[in-house]
Amino acid sequence: MHVRFWVAAVLVVALSAMPAPADDETVRALAKIKAVTKEGKGNDDAGPAWKTLVSKGGPALLPTLEAVDDSNPTSANWLRAAVDAITEAEKAASRKLPADKLEAFVTNTKFAPSARRIAYELLIAQDADAKGRLLPGFLNDRSPDLRRDAVTHKLDILEKLARPSIKADLESLFAFTRDKDQVELLAKKVKENGGKASVAGHFGFVTYSNLIGPFDGPESKGFGIAYKPETAAAATGTFKGKGDVELKWAPHSTSDPFGTFNLNKLLDKHKNAVAYALAVVVAERETSCEFRVTSPTSVKIFVNQKEIFGRDEYHHGDPFDANTGKATLRKGENVIVVKVCQNNQTEQWALRWQFQLRLCDETGGPLAGLTQIASDGKPVPLGFITEMPATEEKK
Amino acid sequence: MNTTHLKLGSLAGLVACLTLAVASPLHGGDWPQFRGTNATGVSDEKNLPTEWSKDKGIKWKTPLPARGVSSPVVVGNKVYVTCSSGTRDDRLHVLCFEATTGKQLWHRQLQATGGTARHPKSCMAANTPVADETGVYALFASADLAAFDSDGTLRWYRSLTGDYPTITNVVGMAASPILVNGRLIVPMDNAGESFLAALDTKYGKNVWKTERPRVISWTTPLVRTVGTTTEVLFAGPNGLTGYDAATGESRWVFKGGGSSIPSPVLEGDSLYLPVGGVSKFALGAQGVTEKAVWAVKEAQTGYPSPLIYEGKVFATSSQGFVVCADAKNGKLLYQERAKGAFSASPIGADGKVYCINETGSCTVLDAKARDWGDAVLATNDLGEETLGTPAIAGGLIFIRTDKALYAIGK
Repeated sequence: MHVRFWVAAVLVVALSAMPAPADDETVRALAKIKAVTKEGKGNDDAGPAWKTLVSKGGPALLPTLEAVDDSNPTSANWLRAAVDAITEAEKAASRKLPADKLEAFVTNTKFAPSARRIAYELLIAQDADAKGRLLPGFLNDRSPDLRRDAVTHKLDILEKLARPSIKADLESLFAFTRDKDQVELLAKKVKENGGKASVAGHFGFVTYSNLIGPFDGPESKGFGIAYKPETAAAATGTFKGKGDVELKWAPHSTSDPFGTFNLNKLLDKHKNAVAYALAVVVAERETSCEFRVTSPTSVKIFVNQKEIFGRDEYHHGDPFDANTGKATLRKGENVIVVKVCQNNQTEQWALRWQFQLRLCDETGGPLAGLTQIASDGKPVPLGFITEMPATEEKK
Repeated sequence: MNTTHLKLGSLAGLVACLTLAVASPLHGGDWPQFRGTNATGVSDEKNLPTEWSKDKGIKWKTPLPARGVSSPVVVGNKVYVTCSSGTRDDRLHVLCFEATTGKQLWHRQLQATGGTARHPKSCMAANTPVADETGVYALFASADLAAFDSDGTLRWYRSLTGDYPTITNVVGMAASPILVNGRLIVPMDNAGESFLAALDTKYGKNVWKTERPRVISWTTPLVRTVGTTTEVLFAGPNGLTGYDAATGESRWVFKGGGSSIPSPVLEGDSLYLPVGGVSKFALGAQGVTEKAVWAVKEAQTGYPSPLIYEGKVFATSSQGFVVCADAKNGKLLYQERAKGAFSASPIGADGKVYCINETGSCTVLDAKARDWGDAVLATNDLGEETLGTPAIAGGLIFIRTDKALYAIGK
């Protein structure tokens, strides 16, 4: 009898936390909103559907959040604005949002990270205690904002502890960081506490790469010219470069903790030029991967002879991770080629010619089972920086 | 693609067929877009305040959820403001307040779908929205574009980076949309696919989309009517182009009108371009005369756009200078260093010129004065970062800082 009671009680709580099934009108409205695509296609139907959805009030909140899961970025924003309108109206009517259902949604990681973040904010606005209750569970979350807040929360707790050493805790926490500023902060704190934290390893920077260049990119148009190395399967062969100079691949490494290859120093200063970097990465298994490149100039990324990303922009800054391509690494060796272009601007600030390449998961975190091939042909971890000096740079 | 070669003498006959128009119907005294009606920076409002401080002369103040360098816009009794927030600056906010009280009427958020890299001084809420009596159109530096009815109903949304994936400007975009003849004109000069487009305001679909050079630029278009044709004048680093607002076809190009940050100013048949300081050009039916009528080389602005008001040219600069010249002949009247650098453009109304600097200190000038000593009426300090140009409407000056929206006045 006692057991039956608790089973029944648990079921009641669980059922009450489950979102009520959406009514037909809500389902139809969500379908019309999710049908919007490019250049305003579908907006005619989505506008009235948005009004219908919002008119449903509180009962439409969870179905709207859930709908973000399989929506495209455009329709996700239609839904985002609907959540605001629904919750604003509920607040105006002095109605509380369904805290239990929001919490169940936030903690269910099968839902879209962006929608879970919205739900989390709605929840903590209504229940201040939810923050401390939920954040510890978000340290390894797919939502970058939930993860970030969880790391900050944990760090605050650790630093208030009267423990003789928090080295091990900080090292564990470092593994969860993703944002560059937080990675650097935690790495610093780990080191201050006598621990070890490799920023280069954590970010998964490629630190060994073969380079070739410069190829002639007249009138800053090298980005659009397909030179032979960009479909290279290996760092072999000779090619005619700028000024008819015969070019060969040469192995290089970097000791920069952020994996920077300074092409001005490694290949000399050039304008209207194109260089290629070729790295070999070995995957223990087929691995879904993000390839993130930071560079002040135009870049393209090729994985196993297939172009996965390109951005043609010069000297407007080099924001971290601004160039991101996605591809699946096959089991075994993979050839990654980065094309790094230089234009014809002659200002001092426009002379920079460099790149960083890192391999990571969708959260920006390290991927297990990947190694890069070093100059001596041996596999080493991504981000590996030898104690020996890196490749000598040209003076 | 014609560069005009009009002689000044031939202008008189053409002036008669030139009439200026801002095409969207508005209430008198509205401030519907970047720098107000047709980006002049001028308002007809009277009895505006001269002095205020954090504790004095404020009708209301309301906190903003995040930073923004865009300007507030005002139509009827509604003030619209955009903000952006988040570690990645990827949360976009559109807010609507009651103009007379500061009461927040609604707040909508979007997730940036385009790149959010930008210069540290800027943010995704850099483009000023444009409003009419039906609602507001908010473009963000991430190339996200949304139309909201005045009650906060989402009318439509476009991810322009989703539509045109090569759009990129890691300095951050800031050109503002405008409304012309019931269409939304969207400037999108960047390092990727660049264009000027007209969208229908009901569904947000392209009416026309005209290719532009792939060069970054931050200027806001102007509008004029030539006979029966409405033109959109749009400046970029490669020149100033007059487009047919109905079709998007280029009608003329003035290569000497290149500007990438400050926007030009149109007053009657005179065009004031931020080139060589500020230069005055005559504008005919077929575009701009090739030779400047005059140039005030001291009026180098950097970020702010110039102001033409009460027969004078006013220019503030990122170096902190305030320059005033006679608009008839370009004669320099004064050039003084004020307190701090300017990002916001000067605005004029009620015989006064308001020059607000990056720290929220506003130098109020008597527009009629011909020397600096007589010109400065007051310096009013809010003590908060202020990069957006203020708006003037309903007897109030609306200033958005990085933290709050202020309505200054009675």
